[in-house]
Order: sequence, then C-alpha cells, then structure tokens
Amino acid sequence: MSIANDHPDAQEYEALLQFLYMAPVGLVQLAADGAIQMLNPLSAQLLMPLSRDGGLTNLFEALEPVAPDLRLLCANFAEPQGQVCDAIRLYLHADDKSGGPQVMSLSMLKLGADRLMAVLTDVTVQDRRERQLRKTDAWLNAIMTNITDYALVSLDRQGRVESWNESIERVTGYDSAAIKGQHYARFYPDGATTEAQQLDRLREADENGWTLDEGPRLRADGSQFWGSAMISPLPLRSDEAASAGACASTQPVVADDEAAYCMIIRDISDKRDISEDLRKASYSDHLTGLSNRRAFFEAADLELKRRKKAARPVALIAIDADHFKAINDRHGHPAGDAVLAHLAQTMRSVCRQVDVLARIGGEEFAVILPSVALDDALAIAERLRAEVASTPAMYEQQSIAYSISIGVAVMDDALDGFDGLIKRADEALYAAKRRGRNQVAVWQPPVTEQA
Amino acid sequence: MTLHAEIPFDQTDLATLLEHGDAAALDALGFGVIGFDQDGQVKRYNSFESQAAGLRAERVLDQDLFLAVAPCMNNFMVAQRFADARADGTALDDIINYVLTLRMRPTKVRLRLLYQPGATLAYVLVQRP
Repeated sequence: MSIANDHPDAQEYEALLQFLYMAPVGLVQLAADGAIQMLNPLSAQLLMPLSRDGGLTNLFEALEPVAPDLRLLCANFAEPQGQVCDAIRLYLHADDKSGGPQVMSLSMLKLGADRLMAVLTDVTVQDRRERQLRKTDAWLNAIMTNITDYALVSLDRQGRVESWNESIERVTGYDSAAIKGQHYARFYPDGATTEAQQLDRLREADENGWTLDEGPRLRADGSQFWGSAMISPLPLRSDEAASAGACASTQPVVADDEAAYCMIIRDISDKRDISEDLRKASYSDHLTGLSNRRAFFEAADLELKRRKKAARPVALIAIDADHFKAINDRHGHPAGDAVLAHLAQTMRSVCRQVDVLARIGGEEFAVILPSVALDDALAIAERLRAEVASTPAMYEQQSIAYSISIGVAVMDDALDGFDGLIKRADEALYAAKRRGRNQVAVWQPPVTEQA
Repeated sequence: MTLHAEIPFDQTDLATLLEHGDAAALDALGFGVIGFDQDGQVKRYNSFESQAAGLRAERVLDQDLFLAVAPCMNNFMVAQRFADARADGTALDDIINYVLTLRMRPTKVRLRLLYQPGATLAYVLVQRP
C-alpha cells in the first residue's frame, strides 16, 4: 500500500498514527489471556527491558517479574466491564543504578469479555516525591488525628521506662512495679522489633527531633492493639544545656537513668481498620497477603539507610519453588496458587514479625532479616526448607508435595545498594538449584587469583 | 560500490556506504534506515521505513527521534547505547532483537545500531523478518 497519498482520509490516518506514536503514556490493548493485540511505542519503551524472551506477545508474561498477580487479578474480575486496577505501582529495581524507570504505574480496564486496555506510565520521580510526603503525613496524623486515649511515657537514655503514671496503666494495663525500669520493647509483641532497631529509633529522635512508628503493641495481659508511638528527646534544662555546650559534646549530658525521651503511645485500632484495606491493596500481594515488590523495596531502602547510620547485619534470603511449572501443568493454576499460598503461610510461621516477607515474582519470594548475621540466616533458611519439604500443600483434598530452593546473602560494605544484595542472593539461589534443588546455598565470592 | 536492494542488512561497511549514499540510494534498500544527528533530530528516513511506519518522511524529518518518532527505543537498550557511544567517542555497530510498534502492531524486528566516531549522523537500521 502506498502512503504518498494526498487523499484527506489518508492524511487523517497518518496524523492519527503519529498521534499514537508520540503519546507520552503507554497504551496496550490485550485479550483476556493477556495476548497483546495493539500497543504504542511508549509501551514498548517501558516493557522491552522487562521482556525475558526479547518479544512482546503477552502482557501478563511481560509483567510477571514485577506484577505476578496481574493475571489472577484480571481473571477474578467478574463484572462484564470496568476498572480492574487503578494506577497500581510496579517496582522494577530497588535503586537507581540500573538507570531508566524504577517505578511504573499500571491501570487496567476491562472493556469486554475478551478485551482489556492497559495504561502504563513512568512514575519514578513522582513516587520518590510521594515517599517524602508520606513521612510528613504520618507526622501530621500523629498530631492532628482525634485522640481518644494515649499514654505518656518518659524513657531514659537507654530506652527504659523512667517513671510510671496513670495513662500508662489506662492504655497498656501495666502497673508501676511491672513496667518501671523495663525497656520500651516490652510494649512490642515478641519478634516485632530488634534491639538494634529500638536504639535506632532513639538515635533517629536525637537527630530529627522525633521518630514515629506504627504497628501491633502489647498490653500487660498479652492482648494486642494497633498503636502509634512517637518518641522525641526531652529538651535539656538550661544548666545542662550550658554544660553540654561547654564540654563540646553533641551528646546531652544526662545520667543514664534520667528521663531523656518522651514517648506517646496511642491506641489507633479504630483508625487502622479504615486505612488497612487501602494499605493492603497497595502494599500486599493479592494472592499470598505477603508484601509486594513495592513494600519490599521500600523496607529494603529503610533498612539500608539504618545500616548506614549504625553498622549491623542485614541478611536476605531468596526463595524459589522448585519445578513450579510442572506443578501448574499437572494440577492446574488454582492448585499452583494454593502451593504459593501454603509457602507464604510456612514462611510466616518460621520468620519473625520484624522480618519483611515478600513475593517478588511468580514463584519467587524473598525475606529481609534485619539484625541477622549469616549463621542465623542460614539456620532460618534451613528451617524453612525443612518445614516445606515435610508439609505438603493441600488443594481440594489433594495433597501436593513440593520443595523450595533458597539462596542466602548478607549485606557487606563492598555492596552499595540493595540490587547488589538481591543479585548475590539470586546467585546463591541458582547455585542451590544447580546442586539439585531442595537445598540452601550461601553466596560465595568469585574465586580470584592472588599471589 | 553503490547501494541497492540486495545489500544485506549486516554488511560490514554499511556505515560508510550510508554516509555517501543519496536519498534515492537509501530508498533502494530492503530495510529501514533512520539517520539522526547529535541532537537526536531525524535527518534521513528512507522509504522502506516510511512504508512500515505509515508516516511520510516530511512528518518525521527534523523531529526528535527518541521523543517524537520512535519513543519505543528511548531506553537503555537503544537510546542509551548511542548516547554512550557519542560521549565516549567509540564506534557502535551492534545488532539486537527488538519489538517495534509499527502501526501499533507489535512487530519483531532486528535493529542494527551504527555510529562511527566523528560522523555527523548515527543510524538505526530496521529489518523485518
């Protein structure tokens, strides 16, 4: 067909083509099974770096490494048409060393039984800005939200409860004898925090003037509530400030057991119920309920920032279900999903609450273990492997035995970003696969010739 | 040697031939040719490419290749390779498999990325299977 045609329709067609070629958002039309029917250049720009086979035939496959639950999300959308998802964030890399976009936004619209439309945009810059804003939001919430009750706790330099008052008993149920002199970790459920993390918070409060965290908290009787805790350093009395200045130390001169911080714990269980659905939708994996890539990379970022301030171990384990494709082929996709959900459940039972458990690909999972050194990380990985190997998943009264391979790596100073740590854990994982699967391997530095 | 339809896509001295070939010579080739300058502006666009994309050359010439003509190549796999080669003053001659969105249909192609240090124009050559 010739295009050197001056017919008005031909010119219109050409103008429309160019309009779509230049559109600054990615548009993809696909069939219900994900097969790509049409797409514009910006989509190819964003999708080609993700393609594993160099082609772009199926959108679900192309996006599987970063949005493993997309196929399920679309399949489960029962309405004849409507919005399947609205601007969900897809996280491509943990840091910006790899160049190009790190965060994409994806909206999916169902137009009919066999037609979907996807809109893709690069939101890397926007995402970075929003993270900053969220920190400010948390701070404003802490101050502005209607408070039903709160406990006011004074802590000494080491984070121990310095004195008791009635508000502590009202919110947490502790009487004076049971809590005075105890570390503030007493308010956290077992495994919800580490010692290094608690000291970090105090240091963060010293530096920023405040620190805030939200999560499950423990009452004296063992029951839990959803709490928000803000810690801020107490201002020095003027005579202390003068002496602090005189000895040229940045550390305030306060005896170890004197009040150095003020902590406010609020019970925000009510508020949490409302925001929980929203939080879940953007931060957890649809199928397993574990963290998604977004939550995973944000947590990693935070953990590495903390590690920069105060050296401590950070371990990463990468997990992959063995022969998962064969499980899907033999038992069907729903059974495969049941296996993944079972694996997620087993991970929860083996790991601590402070660990970050995430699904980062189709059958790929990862766990960040804060303040855990290599030996302990290996022990946890081995426990997880053994647990999975001995308890099969159940699907419709059918028992499905499966196994996992695990790679373990720890952060060290030779690495300057999280992508490097992931790469090491992945290399270890491949080593475990190569050695025959159903085993744990630790990352080994490449052998170098040395004199 | 002059340019003609039978010249293979992967011929070694193609960069020099393109440099010296006129518009008619480029139009004789059996694959797409896009030449662009150091500002990214399209300066040459042969008829094979024009047919495939459905755009006449006058719509494309002097436009920014990676923003207005072929945004699909604006990533580290293509655009970055040219930027690096120009910045480092090194030659670039590589063939990669890629997917273009000609008339919005995903189309598997082979791209040849060509740049010679000191040359005014860099070239993307497009071969359809």
